[in-house]
Amino acid sequence: MKRKMRVLASIFALTLALSSLAACGDSTKKEANPPTPSDTGSKTNVSADAKDTITALLPPVSSEYQNNFPQMEKDFNALYPNLTLKIEPASWEDMTQKLDTQVNAGSPPDIAFIGSDGISKYMQQDMLMDITDTATKEMVEDYDKVPLEYMKNGTGLYGFPAYMEIHALGGNREFLEKAGIDWKKVQKEGWTFDEFREAIKKGVVSEGGKTSRYGFVFATAGVTSKDYLGILIKNAGMPSPFTSDLKYAYTSKNFLEVLKDIRAMIDDGSMPKELSSIDAGKRWNMFLTGQTMITGKGLATFENSANKNNAKIEANDGSAVKGSIKVQYTVLPVPTFAGEKMQASAAVDGYVTFRGKKEPTAEHKANVVKAAYFLASGKVAASTNNDLFVAHITASGKKAAESMPVTRDEFNKAAVETMLAQAAPARPDIPTDLGAKAIKLEDEVIVPKLQALISGEMTPDAMYEAVKTAAIQTFGEDGVVK
Amino acid sequence: MALYNNHSGKSAAKYTRNAVIIIVLVLFAMATLFPIYFMIISSFGDPVEAASMSYSLFPGKITFESYKFFFEYSKYSLRWLGNSTLVATAVMVSNVFFASLAGYAFSKLRFRGRNALFTLLLVAMMIPYQVTQVPLYILIVNIFEIQNTYSALILPGLVTVYNIFLAKQFMGSIPTEILECAKIEGCNQFQIYFRIVLPLSKTVLAVMAILTFMDSWNTFFWPFLVTNTMDMQTIQVGLKNFRFANTTYFAPMMAGATISALPMFILFFSLQKYFLKGVTVGAVKG
Amino acid sequence: MTQLAKPIKRRRIKGDGAWGYAFIAVALVIFAMFTAYPVVSAFIISFQKYKPLGSTFVGFDNYIVTFKDALFWKSVVNTVVYTLLTVPVGLFISFAVAIMILPLRKKLQTTFKAVYYLPAVASGVALSVVWLWIYDPLPSGIFNQLLNFFGISNQNWLGSSATAMFSLVLMAWLSSHGTSIIIYLAALLGIDDSYYEAAELDGASFMKKLWYIVIPCLKPTTLFLLVTGVIGSFQVFQNAYLMTGGGPDNATTMVGLLIFNNAFKYFEFGKAAAQSLILAAIIAGIALAQFKFLGNDVEY
Repeated sequence: MKRKMRVLASIFALTLALSSLAACGDSTKKEANPPTPSDTGSKTNVSADAKDTITALLPPVSSEYQNNFPQMEKDFNALYPNLTLKIEPASWEDMTQKLDTQVNAGSPPDIAFIGSDGISKYMQQDMLMDITDTATKEMVEDYDKVPLEYMKNGTGLYGFPAYMEIHALGGNREFLEKAGIDWKKVQKEGWTFDEFREAIKKGVVSEGGKTSRYGFVFATAGVTSKDYLGILIKNAGMPSPFTSDLKYAYTSKNFLEVLKDIRAMIDDGSMPKELSSIDAGKRWNMFLTGQTMITGKGLATFENSANKNNAKIEANDGSAVKGSIKVQYTVLPVPTFAGEKMQASAAVDGYVTFRGKKEPTAEHKANVVKAAYFLASGKVAASTNNDLFVAHITASGKKAAESMPVTRDEFNKAAVETMLAQAAPARPDIPTDLGAKAIKLEDEVIVPKLQALISGEMTPDAMYEAVKTAAIQTFGEDGVVK
Repeated sequence: MALYNNHSGKSAAKYTRNAVIIIVLVLFAMATLFPIYFMIISSFGDPVEAASMSYSLFPGKITFESYKFFFEYSKYSLRWLGNSTLVATAVMVSNVFFASLAGYAFSKLRFRGRNALFTLLLVAMMIPYQVTQVPLYILIVNIFEIQNTYSALILPGLVTVYNIFLAKQFMGSIPTEILECAKIEGCNQFQIYFRIVLPLSKTVLAVMAILTFMDSWNTFFWPFLVTNTMDMQTIQVGLKNFRFANTTYFAPMMAGATISALPMFILFFSLQKYFLKGVTVGAVKG
Repeated sequence: MTQLAKPIKRRRIKGDGAWGYAFIAVALVIFAMFTAYPVVSAFIISFQKYKPLGSTFVGFDNYIVTFKDALFWKSVVNTVVYTLLTVPVGLFISFAVAIMILPLRKKLQTTFKAVYYLPAVASGVALSVVWLWIYDPLPSGIFNQLLNFFGISNQNWLGSSATAMFSLVLMAWLSSHGTSIIIYLAALLGIDDSYYEAAELDGASFMKKLWYIVIPCLKPTTLFLLVTGVIGSFQVFQNAYLMTGGGPDNATTMVGLLIFNNAFKYFEFGKAAAQSLILAAIIAGIALAQFKFLGNDVEY
């Protein structure tokens, strides 16, 4: 019986401990917890310099970014002594779900760092805050025109852009030269699909029926197949799912053309037949180990990663990627299809402004704009963009970056700038409900069929028909391009 | 005297049998353990980005850099472990106590509406969390206003239907006669629960404890939703910070995963004596 | 619905109703607040077009749309196939392992238990990375190297609709047994020696004891693992999402994924709620059948 009493006593002790812990939780709440996001929106402050707190949900944009949060909060407070910037950290993959939950619950943060393609989604829920009237002229003029357009929907402006990143391709300079490809010319003038197809054929190295090097490998496993198609069709005269008169574009003949070409590159043997399950990590490994001449998608920061690996090969301490060779990463544009012009796929991410359940006051709105601008310009933007090897899109950021050194390949830098100048324009005119329908069609029809196409289980024609049928069902006979 | 024949005197047969069993178990264990093995060897790699990770069965070199990186990456690394321990312990203790009480009541006590209530519990368990998450978030954040507190992390998990169901299924096999005897001897139900049911259920309670702890320890999404400062995050939330836009610090993430698996090992081995054959019904009966 | 928890046909202690309520009180309060309330909310939302700033009532629209949605039914079929292939086989493997661990010496028992329990404690992210490597489509992948050894050319495991579902099932078979093995072992240890003694007096063989003692005694445990396993399997979408993204051609799209997408990606929360309730009804139907077959407790 004694033993049983001991069990009982220990359970009670633990229960006690539990309740004291809970109490400790309550006390931290009082200090560490400024107003919830929902009531920051309902502040009834009258004077312009009344105290206010702005909340921001931010992912690790660059590897250094989250470490700078305390400094950013401090700098902001020094700039506006009456304002407090409260940053919530979140990881990339999960922050959408957190934000979505908060939006659904009617209490989002004031600012969130998201891709500009998310704007139309949150518009649907009426939870975005239009800052057109609040953003000052100086703020707006600080930005390059094109990226700023991406933060618009209809006539409203819903935040400030942080950077505009070009989704391009990346090549191994040595292999390109061996295959006789004039990469300097391609960087300047681009290439057509036929030229590209010939080039990647020449990049293939095989012995006895086994391919040891492919011409081109793109990550298409799972959801990344969306990126693949997205990058290609922009250069086939379809920069957006909708034409300028708001007809669904992916029913056009050019779409079928691209699908045929996707198949052709695999059938040529220039791309692996197992392409459909090669993920982002795998193809980068293939690139570094010389198993492919060109890879995609290519981001500016990949040059940095390749350089780092080169240094490790040199150090020869076993830390370099196993079997890797020295690679000089070379930015390449995506080929053009069916004689269309080049329109680089651009991703604009930025600081989007949200509202709570209650209408925000003019003062709070102004404060949120100050915070968003603080994050998306000047020093903060300059150091983040340098970390990422992406171009600066604000005048103030460019100025702040002058004193920060970066080492980049001059050719690559110029190539990215050429593509930035040709970036596909933003489409703030697409109504949110059309946008939502297009996303659904993409997820439920295009991506699954594309995966089947890549793995050789469906013909380009069959996929085209399936997409066309679904599009007509969704948008009607008159809502699609013929 | 057990499921297996003792083969008394035929030690050769016994050894052969056990040898065969061990070989089968080891083979299956190898398949099961492979991912873990990979996790551990990767954690000894350099803190490099995942894209440049090479898959190899044997590490190119062994270094503790990633562990160092893990602890230096954020000054909160240790605090994340502490938060997780606190939350998981609280949830574990409360589940073992309240879920076993409820499980006992559902399996052995007769009261009106018992079956209806239990059915209700089970049906609620069948609704996917994706849709209950938003209402729950509204409750905790907008109504109770306790986000970013330990209460918010602990409260929703205090008693789970899973554990009540588990306790009920196990306690159902305790012979009712014993309980009735105790009652005749003048024990009230609470005494019966403490003196008879709990000791007889040690094994299942240990199982419940470890499963609950593990579940709470591994929960990612809820703590991620209701915390908004780094100092309140749990280890699972913190670990995700090693993934960036286009790069992931793979080895430190694996180091973190290895570190975060350790407490469960400690718990497992400290509870393991309850997993071995202990007090059984027969012993009490006799 | 009360049939679901089929009354257990045995004598029960009488006159302890008040104690019964007292014992479940805390559990019920917690349940009401943190589970029942959200479920009721979801039920109301399923009749609405949900918007944070004010929802509109739409009657049965969400349900009607769902019933007409071919993709929804395709994903239900996928989920059922996945569940049928994983849960029973998984239980059988766990049961077999638990039985095999039983006769070993204590030290070995503990070691094996720890070994099988290990994968359950490792983070899912770490595990999915390794599985992607195992299923690497190029000849350098682990499974493909195995196949090559037997002279079979490399397979596109996750990328072709012929093998994608099988690959996910195989992954479930080879991992995630820790919990069931531990629960089965706990149940096995709870079987009183006196049953075996009695059986041995009758000269019962190992298989006889297994069939007439162990399996009936483990019925409540099997029921528990089966019901919770089915519930878990029906709600799962992470593996499909991480490994195949539901493809190719929706061959591995699960209901959980659709619900998730509706709730968050498309902000059709009402529809997600309706689909969840339909899903819950399907699970409840399956659970009911399981209780019918396995629910009667055995009286010793």
